[in-house]
Amino acid sequence: MSELAVLHAVRLKGRVSLADLAATLGEDADDVAGVVDRLTESGLLIDGKALRVSAEGRVRLDALLAAERKHIDTAALAAAYAEFRAVNADFKALVTDWQLKDGQPNTHDETAYDAAILARLDDVHQRVAPIVSAAAAQVPRLSRYFAKLQAALDNVHRGDAAWLSRPIIDSYHTVWFELHEELIVAADLTRESEAKSGDAQ
Amino acid sequence: MSTRNPPVLLLDGDASYPPEILGHKGHGIDMMRRNGLPVPPAFCITAEVGARYLAEPAATIDEIWDDVLDGVRRLEAATSRTFGQGPHPLLVSVRSGAAVSMPGMMDTVLDLGVNDAVEEALAAEGTVEFAHDTRRRFAASPAGRDAPADPYLQLRSAIEAVFASWGSPRAAAYRAHHGLDDRGATAAVVQAMVFGNINTNSGAGVVFSRNPMTGANEEFGEWLPGGQGDDVVSGTVDVKPITALRDQQPAVYDELIAAARSLERLASDVQEIEFTVQDGTLWLLQTRPAKRSAQAAVRLALQLHHDGLIDDAETLRRVRPAHVEALLQPSLQPENRLAANLLAKGLPAGPGVVTGQAYTEVDAAIDAADRGEDVILVRNHTSPDDIHGMLVARGVVTETGGATSHAAVVSRELGRVAVVGCGRGVAELLAGKLVTVDGNEGEVRGGRLQLTAWSEDSTPELRELADIARRVSPLRGHASGNYPVLRSHSDAAVRAAMTSGQTDVVSDSPLLAMLAAMRVSEGT
Repeated sequence: MSELAVLHAVRLKGRVSLADLAATLGEDADDVAGVVDRLTESGLLIDGKALRVSAEGRVRLDALLAAERKHIDTAALAAAYAEFRAVNADFKALVTDWQLKDGQPNTHDETAYDAAILARLDDVHQRVAPIVSAAAAQVPRLSRYFAKLQAALDNVHRGDAAWLSRPIIDSYHTVWFELHEELIVAADLTRESEAKSGDAQ
Repeated sequence: MSTRNPPVLLLDGDASYPPEILGHKGHGIDMMRRNGLPVPPAFCITAEVGARYLAEPAATIDEIWDDVLDGVRRLEAATSRTFGQGPHPLLVSVRSGAAVSMPGMMDTVLDLGVNDAVEEALAAEGTVEFAHDTRRRFAASPAGRDAPADPYLQLRSAIEAVFASWGSPRAAAYRAHHGLDDRGATAAVVQAMVFGNINTNSGAGVVFSRNPMTGANEEFGEWLPGGQGDDVVSGTVDVKPITALRDQQPAVYDELIAAARSLERLASDVQEIEFTVQDGTLWLLQTRPAKRSAQAAVRLALQLHHDGLIDDAETLRRVRPAHVEALLQPSLQPENRLAANLLAKGLPAGPGVVTGQAYTEVDAAIDAADRGEDVILVRNHTSPDDIHGMLVARGVVTETGGATSHAAVVSRELGRVAVVGCGRGVAELLAGKLVTVDGNEGEVRGGRLQLTAWSEDSTPELRELADIARRVSPLRGHASGNYPVLRSHSDAAVRAAMTSGQTDVVSDSPLLAMLAAMRVSEGT
């Protein structure tokens, strides 16, 4: 696994344990530990209560991401991101409907209501699959996101709804939010400019 | 079905039909006209037609169309204007008659009846800017998108949209959730437009006959010079307090307040009135009982009782047990809220009220929380790694983003108080300040605002209400005394006490017990 993949995973998580980092990367923990040690020794990662990226690490990460973008067909990636925006709006609306029913916290006592929302999640999942494929054709490491979305969806289908939107764990929303960030970075936009245009909310 | 009521009724003060037929808006308009108040001419297509429409849309609208055209002719005669053409074109609004606005409902279509020729005529009468602005407003409305050029087709499709929206899944779900009657349908009100956007001597607003948040006996409301009604309720434009109208047009203000007082007396309840001022002339568009806070519900009921507008039993009916129960919980009292400096306003995205120091950087927020500070995280936008700042924060505020933004989703998941979409520059404005985030109202105010609770023992309003209740309740509740003890104020416990012949009981919450007793004995 690359230095880029590790640095960016830590950056997206903000603060993360070695075990969680290995899990989100889908790599062997010992291998990840080796890379993390090297990055910590060179001052790019800080190993405190949890791992985080240092200021130098951010500079290095930005350079690595810029280098990665040189090999990207920007038009293809921009097209993938444009399609993502539409699905993104539908996904966030469905999570909101999952959390709130008529403006009040959803007590999850109405099976039909919840089932209708989970059906919408299946639809979102089908629609995002080709988008991740198209993005991964440009940035191969992004294919990992579909595997993580699939794993979260499988957990939801098994009846553990926490995997829809709980923070910290790689729930569907956590993975989605990180994928969104990856696409913004790969398309060489900033979340700030995207937020201004209303798309990165 | 042979004795059908007329499908279209002119709201000229003589439409002696109940709200179930005229719709609540139509009924309110008719009542205002009957009492000589300045209301633009209007007619309504009854809720009975609305119900038939849901079953047979095309046949129903065909069947009543001649009556709608007659209605339009009456509005033309009353205004000396012509629908769909110049030189003096008539524009109309189309509104749903439903008592409450609900998600999924088409509530209001304004400025209907404009096309190229009408825009030119409006420009000749007023200004090019006014004509353009008016047309833009219609085009931006849900009914105005891809609207046909023929004003009559516009009218027809707007009426159909209002009727059809009653049956939309979202509206049906809302009614089911709130226990609203799902039978029947909505009426549609067609009213001659008046224009708050025509010149600087014009505008739109909402006025309450008393303050609906604190319950104070003072006029309260909002005024938007040069605006139309939808601007005022949309929350997207900065409106001025109603006192700005008093400063700008004192005579109009006095007329408005007199009308508000008169409507309050007629309805025996505090009113929320939508109005427009067109070139110095006041027009009232609709009136309804004001939505109010729990504090205001109690205080207003007592005031109306003092004023002799309602009797003992009605006073107690105006206060629901849920109001009293909410008041007994610690909350931000409206008078404290309104007295504090409003620093930012956005969308409520996570309920609750919390106070803390505002931090705009995640690492600084985490360090502060480690030092034991109460932290409010304020971000321009949120990125995935902000989660660690949100975890240590008591409240979250963002500049951009709506109620379904990632920040809102995560805040709700963590149970954090959140206000999102407060606008550019808010992070810089709040940084380093001690602020209170009100996730119920969508506000950030300066300083530490204490949450306080009312009590049945010591809050004068609740004591007064209990005194009134002891005069009319079949079961009198007392805080102490030589009476049997009522263990709970549940309906079942109260019913059991009354069935066993008790008339006086000692209770932890005498007022709630008496409200329950009255409700049980009235069978509601």
